[in-house]
Amino acid sequence: MATHEQLIAAIDGLRGMDAADRLCEACVVLLDIDAAAISLVFDGANSGTLGSSGAPARIYDELQFTLGEGPCLDSVLRRIPILIVDLADPAEARWPAYRPAMLAHQIRGVYAIPVVVAGEFVGALDLFRARPGPLLATDLAGAVAAAELAAIPVLDLLDGDLHAAVTDPNSDAWAELNRLTRAEVSQAIGMLVAQLEVEPALALILLRAHAYATGRSVTDIARDILDRRLKLEAD
Amino acid sequence: MTDNPRETRVLEAVVSLVDSLLDDFDVVDLLTELTERCAELLDIEAAGFLLADPLHRLRLLAATSEEARELEFFQLQADEGPCVDCYATGQPVSVADIRGATERWPRFVPAAAEAGFASVHAVPMRAAGIVLGALGLFGSHAGELTEADLLVGQTLTHIACVAILQERPPTPSTVMPQLRAALTSRVIVEQAKGFLHHMLEVSVEEAFHLLRTYARDSGEHLTDVARKLMTDRYSRPMLVAELADLAAARPH
Repeated sequence: MATHEQLIAAIDGLRGMDAADRLCEACVVLLDIDAAAISLVFDGANSGTLGSSGAPARIYDELQFTLGEGPCLDSVLRRIPILIVDLADPAEARWPAYRPAMLAHQIRGVYAIPVVVAGEFVGALDLFRARPGPLLATDLAGAVAAAELAAIPVLDLLDGDLHAAVTDPNSDAWAELNRLTRAEVSQAIGMLVAQLEVEPALALILLRAHAYATGRSVTDIARDILDRRLKLEAD
Repeated sequence: MTDNPRETRVLEAVVSLVDSLLDDFDVVDLLTELTERCAELLDIEAAGFLLADPLHRLRLLAATSEEARELEFFQLQADEGPCVDCYATGQPVSVADIRGATERWPRFVPAAAEAGFASVHAVPMRAAGIVLGALGLFGSHAGELTEADLLVGQTLTHIACVAILQERPPTPSTVMPQLRAALTSRVIVEQAKGFLHHMLEVSVEEAFHLLRTYARDSGEHLTDVARKLMTDRYSRPMLVAELADLAAARPH
């Protein structure tokens, strides 16, 4: 089975925090890394570690929130992957506080890939390795696939009020991710942003919450919004 | 335009796409141009371009018409059709008469016929030994695509591919993040279409024309204009006003 298929299988039937943790564990098993975490860097109140492969990963990940700097924050801000091959390299001067703190934990390779929800860069998948060096090409492709999949647990957790997705035994993260990539969903999000003056990620959350509340698919709801048959309210 | 010999028009298309390599360009805009040039130059009615994401799902990046767009979506949903096969095998697909392909694509063929297409073809976009996506070419009458036509389609696709990957020589590790960035651009452009659909009460197609025209006129990237519209609350009112002016000036 290809890496991306194994990642999809790893989160089968899981949502929210459980899916985030399992995705991180799968990264450690499938990729040549030692620890993985998913963090949300959305706004001040929501920022933090959402999932991890274990206690060490959580500690590494939370360091950058404590210190206010690090590759995960940069990858979200700059909207690109940040791949550090060796934190011990004296030329590596980007994070004066983060660098010695991570070296104290014997971590030398850090690879941060942004997580994107509704076109917004809302978080990152962070991979940590004791050994320095670049990620293998196949591992990087796997990491990018994992970051793509992480959109669903991140979306689950961005929506603090919504428990439907997490408790619904029929809600499948993979199937949902497929529906959310449809063009009409993006267009409906744009319409909601115009109508309700909310950010795109929040518009998606509203759209999704309505779909869960009415038992219909997000694509049906999106079409109704585009055809002006349905108007959602911001709460 | 049609007075020019075809050779000249092919060269113009090549020059136009190559120019984008030497300049700053927008990926959604570039691939939309690729589909438009193909529809114009080849003996086909419409074209659509699909790009694979990191999870190996094909996603629509550009199409010349609503029919092509719907048909590309249909292929993705039904998981069958020329672009799906082309992506899976990495080889061009050419079906001169779709009526003979009902066994191969039992669901796609009726949908294509319904949309008014009689022949379908697809050429792959490849780099670093992997297939990145497929360009679908749809004809309104039955007929082979000539060797020359396929070559033109493949050449324009190669150029577009080089443009997408131009920052660095492609390796599997550089290709993935760049493709992902291209797909994210598309998401934002789609959002902006919906935004204008509501704000200016125009169709989503018209919204796309407005965005593209505005971006070209102002020398900005289509994606940057779309992103500004979606996330920059300070620039938004001015931008909406300018787009409204543009909409009012366009013939209906």
